[in-house]
Amino acid sequence: MSINLEKFKAVYGKWVEENLQDFQAGKIEDAVKKYPFVVSEDVPWVPFKGQPSEKTIALVTSGGLYLKDSQPAFEAESIHGDPSFREIPRTVHPEDLGIAHPHFDHSLAEQDVNTIFPIQRLVELEKEGIVGRVADTHYSFSYVNDVARLLTESVPKVIDRLQSERVDILFLVPV
Amino acid sequence: MGNMADRMGHIKPPRALLVKFPRGSMLGEPGNAKRQRRIIMDALEALATMTEPGTIRELPYRWKKPDSE
Repeated sequence: MSINLEKFKAVYGKWVEENLQDFQAGKIEDAVKKYPFVVSEDVPWVPFKGQPSEKTIALVTSGGLYLKDSQPAFEAESIHGDPSFREIPRTVHPEDLGIAHPHFDHSLAEQDVNTIFPIQRLVELEKEGIVGRVADTHYSFSYVNDVARLLTESVPKVIDRLQSERVDILFLVPV
Repeated sequence: MGNMADRMGHIKPPRALLVKFPRGSMLGEPGNAKRQRRIIMDALEALATMTEPGTIRELPYRWKKPDSE
């Protein structure tokens, strides 16, 4: 994926300056309408070979999930969002997950976290042999406006960990 | 996967499924395990059938409408 971060940083700084007041006043939609979305210059591509039944799969959600008893919640006030991530084990019980993401209605995910993080369905598919292995660790992000920090700090760490665990398939579920 | 075609057009994921579900519930209604499973199966199928980088496939499922068999 090719993204011009220097170009983004310049327009993002201006966006923060011009929209901080609206953001802090809760006028999020107005600020988002003016947000300088980064546009990838190309499409990353790796041909898929083999069968899912031979592969390891992991999930990434942007639902702001974290382990209530052992991990800090995501930052929920800053205009920059929170570029950090939380590792969620495959063995997690839904009741152990909190949601720290101020910009979506949590009520549906609170009823059934599989709507944004379908870990229970994946484990079922592993038992049936449809996917080879569900990774031990999965990843959650929250809302992030500061894409430069996301791409330079968090994403390389997550990619390293996915590669260490020999993950073949990454399923991205936004909110 | 996602529910906003314009955002997905910016991000340019290699393979994508587009759903018509609300923000905060990308895999459909809470408790609809059958639908969640079906969407994952659609994603696994896309690995083999999507051969053009940047393909976005719109899924036919609708909120609270049963999937056709």
